[in-house]
Amino acid sequence: MTGTRPKILVVDDEPPLRELVMVTLGDAFACDEAGDGDTALAQMREARYDLVMLDVMLPGTSGTDVLREMREDELLKDVPVIVMSAWQSPQDVASALEAGADRFLAKPFRIDELGSMVRGLVGRR
Amino acid sequence: MRRLSLVGRVVVFASTVAIVVVVIVAGALIAIVSLRHAQARESRAKDVTTATLRVENIAFDLESSLRGYTLTGSPRFLALFGDARKAMPAALRHLKTLVRDDREQLRRVRATDGFLHDYVTDYAEPVIQIRQFSPATARSSVASEEDKRRARDIRGTLGKILAVEQTRSARRAAQARDVARTAIVVGIIALALSAALVLLFGAWVARAVAAPVRRTSAAAAQVAAGDFDVRVEERGAGEVGALVGAFNSMTRALEHSREELLEQNERLRESEEHKRDLISMVSHEIRTPLASVCGFTSLLLEREFEREEERRYLEIIDQQARRLAGIAGDFLDVQLLEGGGLKLDRAPFDLVELTREQAHLFFSHSSHALELDVPDIPLVVNGDRDRIAQVIGNLLSNAIKYSPAGAEVRVVLEPEDGGARLTVIDEGMGIPPDDRGRVFEKFYRGSDAASAIGGTGLGLAVAREIVTSHGGEIGVESETSRGSTFTVRLPVNFS
Repeated sequence: MTGTRPKILVVDDEPPLRELVMVTLGDAFACDEAGDGDTALAQMREARYDLVMLDVMLPGTSGTDVLREMREDELLKDVPVIVMSAWQSPQDVASALEAGADRFLAKPFRIDELGSMVRGLVGRR
Repeated sequence: MRRLSLVGRVVVFASTVAIVVVVIVAGALIAIVSLRHAQARESRAKDVTTATLRVENIAFDLESSLRGYTLTGSPRFLALFGDARKAMPAALRHLKTLVRDDREQLRRVRATDGFLHDYVTDYAEPVIQIRQFSPATARSSVASEEDKRRARDIRGTLGKILAVEQTRSARRAAQARDVARTAIVVGIIALALSAALVLLFGAWVARAVAAPVRRTSAAAAQVAAGDFDVRVEERGAGEVGALVGAFNSMTRALEHSREELLEQNERLRESEEHKRDLISMVSHEIRTPLASVCGFTSLLLEREFEREEERRYLEIIDQQARRLAGIAGDFLDVQLLEGGGLKLDRAPFDLVELTREQAHLFFSHSSHALELDVPDIPLVVNGDRDRIAQVIGNLLSNAIKYSPAGAEVRVVLEPEDGGARLTVIDEGMGIPPDDRGRVFEKFYRGSDAASAIGGTGLGLAVAREIVTSHGGEIGVESETSRGSTFTVRLPVNFS
């Protein structure tokens, strides 16, 4: 995989937020986007992603359900996931981590925080 | 007839028992007095008999001593005669005293007195004197028919007196026995009657007073233990019945108060929960646009971008900042609605133009398909243009929010009798039947909270308030999983 950019899927129902994440991560990563849970799962099954940025509150299948489905899927269970949410009570964080998230990113987030969290997870692989 | 009070009943019962006891005692006293009277009369008859027998003995002594002296001439008999002669007046006096109230017997005693007196003076004393001169004459005299006649007269009258007294004595004894028997019978019946009355009274007290009081006391213990469902059967005399009734009322009132308290508590709990949800929801609603504002601002400050990109990001910041202002505006509107302070700035405006404008605003950057069906000519209404724009905007943003990307949203505006009708039809998830009646309540989000769809629950509440302030109405029809249709009716002119 040397020479190719790590692939990231950004899942959020808010187009400005998807754009923010993609602009922040910049040219170092190849980003795809999805606006709802079902589209995101379909995309993950077509292309292999190195990281998924997942919003919790999605129309249709929620982010938490997407995460659970990923962790039960042989192909997707090891893909690192950063859960992003504006819901950030200790229970919300705990339920995201229990569902299998690697990191929890509270909205609004600092752009350098997002960058270092992503690089940390992708670089480890 | 009015039922007597408990105190009244106790008084009536106690008085009845007291009267019965007094009657018994009086009856017993009367019986005792009658018995004593009968005994006294019987005793007097016996005294008369004794006194009569004493006179009879004296008469016998007079006769036998006269006969002895006449036959023997012995002075001993003469002395005996003298004794009897002396005892006679006292015995007769005594007998007269005893029978003084009985005219018949007194007459007989007087007759006896006369016979004896005649016997002694007219017969016996002359015979004694004759004996001293002629014993033979005297002897023939005592054996004569006159002697026998006089003796028969005396004995006959005395016998009559005795017979009368004996008959009376027997009759009085029988009377005394009758009175005694009657007294005993009356006593037994009265005792039985008063015993029965006392028992009856006791039983009544037990049934009408003690039992309800015991039941009430047991119920009070249950109430003290927290069981307010308990009720006592409302039975019991007068004040006891009233006590039981009052107890039941008290328990009902307590139960009612407790239920009210529980309901109040539940409302408080719900309100507290609601408040927590609201705070959580508001902070979420604010954080989402804030994330874009903060993020793009940081990017613009820290990195270099092409002029075009820079402008695009500034537009996003502007859009999201407006969204934040909109949320703040919704809250302000709710505050105005609650305080009745919603002010309308009325002026005629074209509803067709406003609808086109709002549709463009919401659908130009959306993945949803818009089908706009508006009249070709202006449809002028008299109202607050900004507020009506807010209503249309809320309906359009809901249609987008609650239907999947790419779905069609149909917006129809048409003139209607004396007004205009705006219909927004989506192909979204629809509203569950339980939520349909409440979607226009402020902060009501129904199943949205569970289905992870954001929102303050204020948009439709504000929309309804604005529409009704314009004299119009707003309604919804929906089918779960098929979509919803919101209809707004506005009059052209409203006063």
